[in-house]
Amino acid sequence: MGRDRARDAVFLVPGLAWLVVFFAIPLGIIFVVSLGTRDQFGGVVLDNPGLGNYQRALEPDFLPTVWNSLRYAFLTTVLTIVVSYPIAYWISRHGGRHKVLLLVLVMLPFWTSWVIRTYAWMIILRDNGVVNGILTGLGILDQPLALLNTDLAVVLGMTYGFLPFAILPLYVSIDRLDPALVAAARDLYASGRAAFWHVTLPLTMPGIIAAALLTFIPAIGDFVTPDLLGGAQTVTIAKVIQTLFLSSKDWPFGAALGFLLITVTIVGTVGTLRILRREVIG
Amino acid sequence: MADHRPARSRQDALAQRLLEERLSRRRFLARMAALGAGVPLLAACGAAATASPTAAPTPSPAPGTAGPETAPPTAEPTPVPTPEGELFVYNYADYIGEDTIPSFEAKYGIKVTYDFFDTYETMTAKISTGNSGYDVTFATGVDVPGFLARGLVQPLDHSLIPNLVNLGAEWQDPAYDPGNAHSVPYMWWTTGFGYDTAKVDEELTSWDALWDERWKGKMAMLDDYRESFAVALIRLGYSINTTSDAELDEALALLQQQKPLLRKYTADDIGDLSSGDVWISHAWGADVAQAATERESLVYVLPAEGAIRGSDAMVLLANAPHPVAANLFINHMLDAEVSAGNTNYVYYMGPNEAAKAFIDPEILADPTLNPEKAQVAKLQEILDLGADLQKYQERWTKLRAGA
Repeated sequence: MGRDRARDAVFLVPGLAWLVVFFAIPLGIIFVVSLGTRDQFGGVVLDNPGLGNYQRALEPDFLPTVWNSLRYAFLTTVLTIVVSYPIAYWISRHGGRHKVLLLVLVMLPFWTSWVIRTYAWMIILRDNGVVNGILTGLGILDQPLALLNTDLAVVLGMTYGFLPFAILPLYVSIDRLDPALVAAARDLYASGRAAFWHVTLPLTMPGIIAAALLTFIPAIGDFVTPDLLGGAQTVTIAKVIQTLFLSSKDWPFGAALGFLLITVTIVGTVGTLRILRREVIG
Repeated sequence: MADHRPARSRQDALAQRLLEERLSRRRFLARMAALGAGVPLLAACGAAATASPTAAPTPSPAPGTAGPETAPPTAEPTPVPTPEGELFVYNYADYIGEDTIPSFEAKYGIKVTYDFFDTYETMTAKISTGNSGYDVTFATGVDVPGFLARGLVQPLDHSLIPNLVNLGAEWQDPAYDPGNAHSVPYMWWTTGFGYDTAKVDEELTSWDALWDERWKGKMAMLDDYRESFAVALIRLGYSINTTSDAELDEALALLQQQKPLLRKYTADDIGDLSSGDVWISHAWGADVAQAATERESLVYVLPAEGAIRGSDAMVLLANAPHPVAANLFINHMLDAEVSAGNTNYVYYMGPNEAAKAFIDPEILADPTLNPEKAQVAKLQEILDLGADLQKYQERWTKLRAGA
């Protein structure tokens, strides 16, 4: 009914307002800044707006960092989903009375600062840290392993940070799955594994896709974890943007890189959702 | 578990939908909360950071043993005007004595909020807005004229800072700030490198050590583009304040050669050296001394081919909300005992002549913390290059972003 729809549309207003004020408008500002050039002190000069910064962004100098960003985000997403799925599955199927408590425990780390949790990883992974202390103490190693400031440390830290983002949508999706369907598959002589592969997995695909997007998108923009846990070679495009804003004081160029990053992410996300439309709707 | 029976009525359907969606909203709220928690990841998060000099047209005086005639160690402004109840100070981490702020708060009853920045650029970016909310910050001495030209600092009220007489003669009227009108020197320092003698079994004396393949993965350079480029330029024999594109390109190439050997570019040389993750680090002298309190095998080297010196100064920011308290704070920092307390804690030497009576004699005698005047005069100082800074900044971006 037209009137119901129009009346219900009013519920869209807060969300849309948020999107416009905190996303669309800042994105527009970033775009405008990216058209300018920097002045001596790091200010923005808009006398001669042009797309020169975008040309510069496409230079091969920055390809290694873009590759790093994509690599870390992808590995993190895969690892996060692989780890989160069993957890979400267990909570859904066997959580019973304690489901809510378990979910709260999953979200509890958010009550601590992200940076402090990343620092905890530094303490765990560094040369004289917990892991190396155990390995050398038990005599398994003579010299400590260089775990910190490597790709491994970055992916581990990011995976840990994004687990709650993935567990929750996976949980929702798994929870909606009617166990009767799985039981039916078993009745039809499917093994446990076959039932999982042919019934559970396809039906929880919307959750997996949601979890993947919720992990991949922030992972691409994360500059804290690669900065703290990474080293000289683990520079991501997000870190380059930070360097441009804070150290090099080249705001217009940083804005151009940022705008490109956001645009590519949006296009990629929308594209992925379209292609996987069937799976997403479930 | 969600109810999958067919809805019997619109209400049932609504209830069913609410049950199913409840967790989605929770997820949404959780995500919003997480984004909120994740946002303030900017610099100012605790990690120690140390001085990173930048620029200015005229060098600061070479510190050394200067005039012994000084006023009494402590002087208070009389009459004491009514200070505001609060003060906001913005400084590097690990750069003040333990007791300095508490003693100030006790003396005047002013509540001090003491914030840290991890890199110098973060601070300059923040105060460039003109309304950072801070009263006092610590700029590299040679940067003060630049800040003044941009209207970021205001003149000090010398009637509130009688302790100025405590400064050594060469600091009383520095070339970069005649008459100390806008700044008061805080500490001076040198930049060389530190290494762990327990892990490196030979004696290192030259910057070449930081390009040595044997220490691959165990070295760090400072996350400071002027300091890092200075090292490369010194190795190439050029001025560290060069504006020649050819020379800077050579320096960039040298740094790019070094990059695969580095573990990281650090803003926390103290933490890296003391934790043992890094065996050889580009570092500030007093930072190595601080790290050595936790790891005694650390040693600081001022390479013979050249190194850097500089000084930091306290400035009163232009739109400081609490100028009276700020001036009193600066006066407090110039108090001989307070200044000595700072030096004794962070190992940086101050410009305060009267404080020398209270500084730990071991620090005064240590040639790495308090080098001979003649040696200091040979060190180069990083100067403000104005518009030419861009040449360094662009190459720094290329260095950090490249493979």
